[in-house]
Formats: sequence, structure tokens, C-alpha cells
Amino acid sequence: MTDAGGGEPARAGPAGVPAHEAAEPEPDPRFTLANERTFLAWSRTALALVAAGLGIVQLLPPFPGVPLGRHVLGVPLIILGAVIAVAAYWEMTRNQHAMRRGEPLPRSILPRLLAGTIAGIAALAAAVVLLSAVR
Amino acid sequence: MSTAPPDQDEPGIGEPANRTRLAWTRTAIALAALGAAMLRASLIAGVIVIALSVPVWAAVRRIGQASDALSSIAVLRLVTATVVLVAAAALVIAFLGHGPVTLSELLHGH
Repeated sequence: MTDAGGGEPARAGPAGVPAHEAAEPEPDPRFTLANERTFLAWSRTALALVAAGLGIVQLLPPFPGVPLGRHVLGVPLIILGAVIAVAAYWEMTRNQHAMRRGEPLPRSILPRLLAGTIAGIAALAAAVVLLSAVR
Repeated sequence: MSTAPPDQDEPGIGEPANRTRLAWTRTAIALAALGAAMLRASLIAGVIVIALSVPVWAAVRRIGQASDALSSIAVLRLVTATVVLVAAAALVIAFLGHGPVTLSELLHGH
């Protein structure tokens, strides 16, 4: 995901568009392409989350003593994948509008959303594994 | 893999355009791989997901041609809609499909 830094080229580009040229209908093509790559990188992240959730439910053997353990872990991952896909599209559109107006890029909610949910899933996984070991 | 000779690119955006082509290709491969993984659980869902990776892969062609605007917004919406659809199919499989219980079932079907 090294190409996922959507905001970086907008600040560091050698021909960066100054804020007072906001009348330009479209930003520098390189910024648009970077915005598109960021969207694609988040879409692949979303696909990976869905694959991980499906893999947990379909491929893992059941946790002894925790009948729905696999679903408790897998279903939130799948839902998070769908949410991230939609949020990535929304942020890509929003960033493109901001670049057309020459405004600074708004802060992305996606890293916090991803980190928070992964931490939550990790806690759930620890709970399921411990519960399964105790029984 | 690149469908247009490099000299057709505008000078100066060739490198970002190539990176973007590769990003589209990676996305299409990820989609096709997930579709292949879904085949076992649901043949129909797997075939649909693999089929949806074709227009995503075809998006590689237009990078650098209309580079002053966002890629045809329809293709970007298609990517989002596809991921949501895949997630919905995964949820259905998670609740209705019966995953293999043992390794031998995993390897030999059930």
C-alpha cells in the first residue's frame, strides 16, 4: 500500500497547484491519478477484509465450546469490508472536489475506522480463543 | 500488460499513469482471486465475481487517455458496487453455507 498516500503528491508535487488557482476546472492529472490509486488501494483492502472474514467462517474448524465463534469474528470483518468500500468512494469524490477548488484535502476517516475495527476484532478473537480454551 | 505504447502518454504523466495501470491490475487480480476462492462455497457467486473482474481489468486501457478527469466515474462506482456485492454474497455464504469441519473435508470436499 505504498502508493496509498493520497495527500502526499498534492503537497509535494513539483508543479503543485497553488490555492489561488482554484478556478481551474480539473486539478493536475497526477493528483487525480493519485486520488484514483488511493481509492483502488482502499478497495483492495476492503476485498482483503471480506476474504479474511469469509475464510474465518468457511475454512476454520469450529471453536470447541463457542458455537458461533467463527461468525462472531468473520461477519464483522465482512461488514467492515463493505463499509470501507463505500467510504473510499465517498472520500475519493470529496478529495476530487477539494482539489478542484484548490482547498486542502479533508482528513480521512478511513485509517481510524480500519485501526479501530481491527483492534476490536483482535479483542474479540482473544476472547473467543480464551473462552474456547476454558471450556 | 500495458495496452498503449508508452510514447502515447503525455510527457510528464507517464510514470503516474503506469502506477495507476498497475493499481487497476492488482485490483482486478484481487477480485478474480476472491471470486475463485468463492467458487467452492457458491459456484454462481464465484462466477459472477470473476466476471466482474473483467471490466475492472479493462479499465487499464483508458488510463492516460482522458487523464485530465477522474477515470470514468462509472468504472469507479462499479468497483465500489462490486466490493459491496461480494461482501453481501460473503455474508449469505457465511450464514447459509456449511464450511468444512475438518481438514480432510477441506481438502476433499464435503
